[in-house]
Amino acid sequence: MKPTPILKVQNLKVHYPVRSGFINFKPQSFLKAVDGVSFDLFPGEVLGLVGESGCGKSSLGKSLLRLQEPTAGQIELSGQDFLALKGEALRSRRPEIQMIFQDPYASLDPRMTIEATLREPLEAHGLWKSTQSQKTLNKILDRVGISSVALSKYPHEFSGGQRQRIAIARALILNPKIIVADEPVSSLDVSVQAQVLNLLKEIQKEFNLSMVFISHNLAVVKYIADRIAVMYLGKIVEITSKTELYSRPQHPYTQALISAVPIADPKVEKARKRIQLQGELPSPINPPKGCAFHTRCPIVKESCKAEAPKLKDFEKPSWQVSCFEVR
Amino acid sequence: MALLEIKNLKAHFHTRKGVVKAVNGISYSLNPGETLGIVGESGSGKSVSQLSYLRLLPSPPLRIPEGEVLYRGENILTMSDDKLRALRGNKISMIFQEPMTSLNPYLTIGSQLIEPLVIHSKLSKKVAWKEACEALNRVGIPEAEKAMKVYPHEFSGGMRQRVMIAMALTTRPEVLIADEPTTALDVTVQAQILEILKTIQKETQMAIILITHDLGVIAGISDKVVVMYAGRVFEEAPVDTLFENSEHPYTRALLKSTPRIDISQEKIPVIGGTIPDLSQLKTGCPFYERCDYRKDICQAEFPKVRKVSSVHESFCHVENFK
Repeated sequence: MKPTPILKVQNLKVHYPVRSGFINFKPQSFLKAVDGVSFDLFPGEVLGLVGESGCGKSSLGKSLLRLQEPTAGQIELSGQDFLALKGEALRSRRPEIQMIFQDPYASLDPRMTIEATLREPLEAHGLWKSTQSQKTLNKILDRVGISSVALSKYPHEFSGGQRQRIAIARALILNPKIIVADEPVSSLDVSVQAQVLNLLKEIQKEFNLSMVFISHNLAVVKYIADRIAVMYLGKIVEITSKTELYSRPQHPYTQALISAVPIADPKVEKARKRIQLQGELPSPINPPKGCAFHTRCPIVKESCKAEAPKLKDFEKPSWQVSCFEVR
Repeated sequence: MALLEIKNLKAHFHTRKGVVKAVNGISYSLNPGETLGIVGESGSGKSVSQLSYLRLLPSPPLRIPEGEVLYRGENILTMSDDKLRALRGNKISMIFQEPMTSLNPYLTIGSQLIEPLVIHSKLSKKVAWKEACEALNRVGIPEAEKAMKVYPHEFSGGMRQRVMIAMALTTRPEVLIADEPTTALDVTVQAQILEILKTIQKETQMAIILITHDLGVIAGISDKVVVMYAGRVFEEAPVDTLFENSEHPYTRALLKSTPRIDISQEKIPVIGGTIPDLSQLKTGCPFYERCDYRKDICQAEFPKVRKVSSVHESFCHVENFK
C-alpha cells in the first residue's frame, strides 16, 4: 500500500502582477513564477527541488508555508486543506511546517540574542514553559553543534556556518513535521557546507522529518534528497528518484543540466561530453508558447512550439516527464 | 621566461582593529598560453593577491611590505602609475565576478567596449566600433551591431559576463585574470562561458589566471593549480597530479568534502572547525587547528617548500600520506 502523503500539492500557481504605471495601477501582465506544480511529499522523505535562477523554486518553497500566498491550486497538509485555513486555525498549524533560508546573515535578527531568536517561535505559539522550554533550547542548540554559551550572544559573533546551525535550531524548535530548506548551504564555503549538509541529513533521519530541499547545486541535492523534481520556467519537467534522475535523465533539460555540472576530477572532465544549451532562460513574464523549453531544446520539433507537453508517467507512476519526445 | 612571476608577495590591510594579513608570502609563475587555477575558500587571499599588485585596492589600508611581481621580467610593484595604467586593461586584463556591478549602468555596451581600444590601442572611434563588434561576435552575442547600442540592464547575467569577456579581450591581452567569472551564473550558462574562454585561449595563446572556489571548474579548465589558504599557498601542481596525488592534507580534505554528482555518498567527510581570523594569525601553519596530520613543529613554524617533483610543490611538514 502506498503511504499517504504528508503534503499534497496540486496545480499550484504563484503569479506576481507586473505593474508598469504609477497611476495606472492595474496589472499589465503577470510573472508566472510557479505555473501549475503538483507533487506529493511523503513522511520522512527529502524532495529535492532543482532548477536555474528564475525557475520559481523559491516562490514555490515560500508558498508551501503561505509566506507567499499562492494564486491558485491546492495544498493539503496531512490530509487537510491548508489554503482554506484562516486566523487561529492557520496559526495552530504553522508549527508543522518550518523554513530555513539561504542567507543566515539576513534571516537572523541582528538585534536579538540567540536565546531571544529561539524563544520567539515558542512564545508566539504560547508554548513557552520556563524550565522545560529552557531545557529544550539547550538540547536543540547542543544537537546542532552550538554550545549553550551562545544563548546570550548576538548573530554577528558567529560565522556563516554557525549562523546556519542556529537557523536550523530555530526551525526545529517547534518540532515540525516538514522543513522547507531554501538553498541552505549556498552561501557557505565548501568545508563548512559539508558540515551543515551532514547535520541536516542527520537531523532529518533522527526526527523523521519530511523535507523540501531547494537548491541550484545538483551535487548537493544528490547527497541529501531521495526524490528530485527539476523545474524550468515555473513548471516541473521531470520528477523521479535520485538514482534514476542521475543515471538515466529523460527530459532534455535534465540531461543538459546534469551534463553542465562541473565534476572535480580532471580525467572525468576531459572525457565528458557536454550537451551545450544555446541561449538563456526566457523571461517568465512572456514565456515561449508551447513547451517553455523549446527555445533552447536540442531535440525540438515543430509540434513543441504549438502545444505544451504535460507530465506523463515514464516506465512507472513515480517517474514523470513532460516531453513529447520521451515515451 | 615566465610571462608573470610572483615572488614572496605579501599584502596586508592596516585597519583600526589591527593588521589583516590577507596575503602572506606567495610565489608562483605563469607561462604563455597556460591556465593557472587558483582555488581557495573565502578569505584565502586568492582575489587580493591579484588585485593588490594591479593597484586596484585602496592604499591605505593596503600595504605591500614585501615581494616582487615580474611581468616579462619587469617589477610591477615599482612601476610608475602611468606605466602600470598602460599595462592594466591592455596586456593584463581582468574579468570580475559580478557582471552587474562591473559594467557602468549609464553607458551603452558599445561606448564601454570601445573605451579600452581608444585609450590603449589608440584607435579612432570608428575602427574601435568595428573591432568591438567583432569581439562581441567572438563571445557569442548575436546581432552585435544592435547589442552595442543597448544598456547593461537590458542584458541577462550571462550576456553581461560575455560583454565583460569581450571587453577584456579587445586589446588582445597576454594575461587574463578571471576572478570567479562564472560564480554568479547558472550552470548551463557557466558551461557556455567556460567554453568561450577555452576557445579564445586556443586562438590567441593568452594566459589565464582563473580564481574560483569551485573545484569542478578548476578540474575542467586549468593546466596548473595553486591551492590557497589563509593568505598562503599550500600546494602547486599540474591539475591531474593535484586531484590524484595531492601532497597536502588541506587539498585532500577539500577534495573529499566537495559533493560530486558522479558519486553517491552516505556521509561527506568534513573539515572540522573554521577558517582562522586573518588579523590574529599565529606563527606556524594556519591550518594547524583543523589538520588531521598535525605535529608539534607545525605550530612553531610555517613549512618550507617541499619539491615533490619539478612541477609539484607542497608546503607541509608531513611527508607520507596513506
